[in-house]
Amino acid sequence: MSRVRDTEETEVKPPLTPAMFHVLLALADGEKHGYAILKEVERRTNGKVRLSAGTLYGIIKRLNGEGWIVELNKRPAAALDDERRRYYRLTDPGRRAAMAEAQRLEDLLVMARNKNLLRKTEFA
Amino acid sequence: MTPAPIPLSRRIFRNLMRLLPFDFRTNYGEEMEGVFHEQQREIESQGDALDFLRLWGETIAGIFRTAPSEHWEILKSDASYALRMMRKNMGFTAVAVLTLGLGIGANTAIFSVVHSVLMRPLPYPQGQQLVFLRQEAQKQGIDDLGFSVHEIEDYRSQNRTLSGLVEYHSMSFILYGHGDPDRVRTAVVSANYFDLFGVRPLMGRTFLPDDDKLGAAPVLILSYEYWKNNFNADPAIIGKTFEMNDKPHTVVGVLPPVPQYPTESDVYMPTSACPFRSSKAMIDNRDARMMEAFGRLKPEASLAESRADFSTIAGRLKLAYPKSYPEGAGYTAVSSSLREELTSGARPTLLVLLAAAGFVLLIACANVANLTLARMSKRERELAVRTALGAGRSRLLRQLLTESFMLALLGGALGLLFAYGSLPMLTEFAARLTPRAREIQIDLGVLAFALIAAAGTSIVFGTLAALFARANLSSSLKEGSAGAGAGKQKNRLRNLLIVSQIAFSFMLLIGAGLMVQSLLKMLEVDPGYVPQRVLAMRTTFSFNKYATREQTVDIIRKVLARVQGEPGVLSAAISSSYPLEPEAIAAGPNSFSTSFDVEGRELGPTEAPPVSSFHAISPDYFRTMGIPLKEGREFTAADGGKGPLVAMINEAMRRQFWPQEDPVGKRVSLDSKATWLTIVGMVGDVREFGLDRPAAPEIYFPHSEGAAPATLIVRTSADPLTMTAGITRAVHDVDSQTAVTHVLTLEQARAESVSSPRVTASLLAIFAVLALLIAAAGIGGIMALAVSQRVREIGIRLALGAQPAAIFRMVLNQGLVLAILGIAIGAAGALGLSRMVKSLLFGVGPTDPLTYLGVGSVLAAVGVVASYLPARRAARIDPIEALRAE
Repeated sequence: MSRVRDTEETEVKPPLTPAMFHVLLALADGEKHGYAILKEVERRTNGKVRLSAGTLYGIIKRLNGEGWIVELNKRPAAALDDERRRYYRLTDPGRRAAMAEAQRLEDLLVMARNKNLLRKTEFA
Repeated sequence: MTPAPIPLSRRIFRNLMRLLPFDFRTNYGEEMEGVFHEQQREIESQGDALDFLRLWGETIAGIFRTAPSEHWEILKSDASYALRMMRKNMGFTAVAVLTLGLGIGANTAIFSVVHSVLMRPLPYPQGQQLVFLRQEAQKQGIDDLGFSVHEIEDYRSQNRTLSGLVEYHSMSFILYGHGDPDRVRTAVVSANYFDLFGVRPLMGRTFLPDDDKLGAAPVLILSYEYWKNNFNADPAIIGKTFEMNDKPHTVVGVLPPVPQYPTESDVYMPTSACPFRSSKAMIDNRDARMMEAFGRLKPEASLAESRADFSTIAGRLKLAYPKSYPEGAGYTAVSSSLREELTSGARPTLLVLLAAAGFVLLIACANVANLTLARMSKRERELAVRTALGAGRSRLLRQLLTESFMLALLGGALGLLFAYGSLPMLTEFAARLTPRAREIQIDLGVLAFALIAAAGTSIVFGTLAALFARANLSSSLKEGSAGAGAGKQKNRLRNLLIVSQIAFSFMLLIGAGLMVQSLLKMLEVDPGYVPQRVLAMRTTFSFNKYATREQTVDIIRKVLARVQGEPGVLSAAISSSYPLEPEAIAAGPNSFSTSFDVEGRELGPTEAPPVSSFHAISPDYFRTMGIPLKEGREFTAADGGKGPLVAMINEAMRRQFWPQEDPVGKRVSLDSKATWLTIVGMVGDVREFGLDRPAAPEIYFPHSEGAAPATLIVRTSADPLTMTAGITRAVHDVDSQTAVTHVLTLEQARAESVSSPRVTASLLAIFAVLALLIAAAGIGGIMALAVSQRVREIGIRLALGAQPAAIFRMVLNQGLVLAILGIAIGAAGALGLSRMVKSLLFGVGPTDPLTYLGVGSVLAAVGVVASYLPARRAARIDPIEALRAE
């Protein structure tokens, strides 16, 4: 387990910021356009993490550059779509990067729990 | 249908997005706007004003966070791309960096002088409050009379605008008790002198009010340099005593390394320790002026107020002591900013040099822009392809500007090195213009200047190159790289750059030419004496040992007799000063002048007495100096002493007072008609205080009539410097306690007197030659490029029967036309700037036609020579090859 994680961690460059991780998470269950990503993040975090247009597209550009997400050429049926919208999908490397980050966070939590910094019920 | 107006919020959002890089906006702008729009809509439907504010706050913050990192990314990639391009074109890079380095270096070097000397405040606390005080006799043309003890006291007690007023004068004393008798430059100052300047001692203390009282035990403060160089920075120096003026003097302090104004001194003593300053005759005589005065303005007082203050006091003194301040003298007192006083002499020269260096940088810019253009023609396809692949045009321009900035940055670093290397030379040069020269250094201000110069430079030549790129990018893909349509515009820009290089070179060459000519004119001036093979050395006799006039006359007679006996000595004399003596020039003619009366000539009630320089000399002075006798006789050993008092004058004095008469037998008085000197002879005029200063009236009298002379003057049969040791030994044979210093040949003194114009001329000449070389390389390069672009056209012409000689002439003419255009524009510019250099010139007008003609011919010739190789190449083009190559 730890061996796998090691190799994966070397792939994660530059390190993921929380905001980047949230965007990857938002895309984990399917392709979305920008505004949808933004709303998803806000909803999942109960409004604790709010991305603005400027930050979101800075992140999208970087994730795109890393090859972790791609822009889709196909769009939904024209009736449902605003023509300005572009859709993004998580790539396999992107998924691996998100998994590695999730693993890293879980490892941290295990450590914290072992030190009695976290009650089990609270995490469930 | 008119389009719906864009809502305000959207306009604000679009303007905010301008902070982001162009590419980012192109890529995501529309989407971002869409997202923002939807966020807004959502809030409008269910949110409140607070949500609305929060949305704007988050949006603005987000853009401000994203923009810098996006710009940084682009800069990084542009820079690494630029580095790759620079490494690929090492030749271009080297030439561009060197050219820019020379340009920026010249500017940085001159700026370091301008910054330290003209711009920085004096290195004393509240230095702007320091003022220099002067008494003027305007109508006699004397701008600095000096101060007497009475006057210092009057101005100190009566002024309302100064928080302190101190006096200063400089003496040379001999210090015993530390190796050989050492002649030390001694500043005699008020007790609160250092307090006024805000200087704290490095060791010990400065002077106390009690040190200044008459009869106080003599104390000394050493300058940092003297302490370091002559006492190896001895930490136990405080309390040591040295013999000066026959009294023990105790060292009480050492100064920190501060610039010393107005002149550098080895030691400082309070006024009570100076035998002259503390003598009764000096203290009681209102007209015995030997001091300078400095003051510090009260914090609330302005310079203008202090000027009014001093003028009022001067008026009061004039009423109280009409004899000391005759109505016709135009007497007044003036305070001026010390900083101004110390630097005003350097200002015109430094500004001319800064302008010249600026021209060199402009020429370098034009040249690098041209190089960049030439290189871009090779890169046209690359740039066009990148455009076609979707790189925004402004993205490419940004790339080009990054490249030029990196070149300029390298050039700036090189320029800093050049400037650093030239610092010792510049400091020595500036020392001839201002006492602040020692402060010259490369500090943060200078570094900032170099950086700004580099940035400005890159913007100038980068924009020029980018302008061209903008005009040509679209056409080059369509027409191929040797396209003719865009070529015309591009060539016009290049030609413009060449013409401006020649124009600026012309102006620089004119400046240099005028300076060199005025230097030559100065050296051509007949100084009125024969400077070759004459040695001057300051001989200071211990004046306590030779206190009376008889004793002084006796020792001088003995020394002269002993020196005359040295083999190789043709004649020897002694004099209070000699022509073009560096110290005399520095002090100015006023310090050697005295007012006098001419017998039988009564002054009107408002007329000021005439003024002349005076010299105490021994009988062989004129023979030794090679100054011709024009009328009457020279002094003999019989003159002076008990006989009638005699004097000699120069021709300038005769022209002024006895233009139609024989001056021999006339009488003048130097002491308000108490005693009269009979003129026994007249000698030729001598340039005493500068080759560029016309001879003024001079009075000579035998040293035996008073005033101890100080300089031994020896005419030798061989190189005088080889005889220094022998002559010094001869002097010491007579009295080993005599200090012999300031050994100089009169030729050295004369060269020294023109060293400032010499260095100015040399620097301008260096700049001009630099400019000429850069411009010549520019013309040659551009003509070669033009020929290589026109190979096919020339090939066709030749194939159609054109003569190679005609082709040769055609190319040559093109170069010549550019040169002539540049010369014409340059001449107009130089005429416009002529006022700027006028004050630096001697014997040549700022619009001297010969200089203009000469410089014009040189530049035209350079244009022809630089076009020669490309023209020859054009004439040798093989038409078949040329046509096949296409």
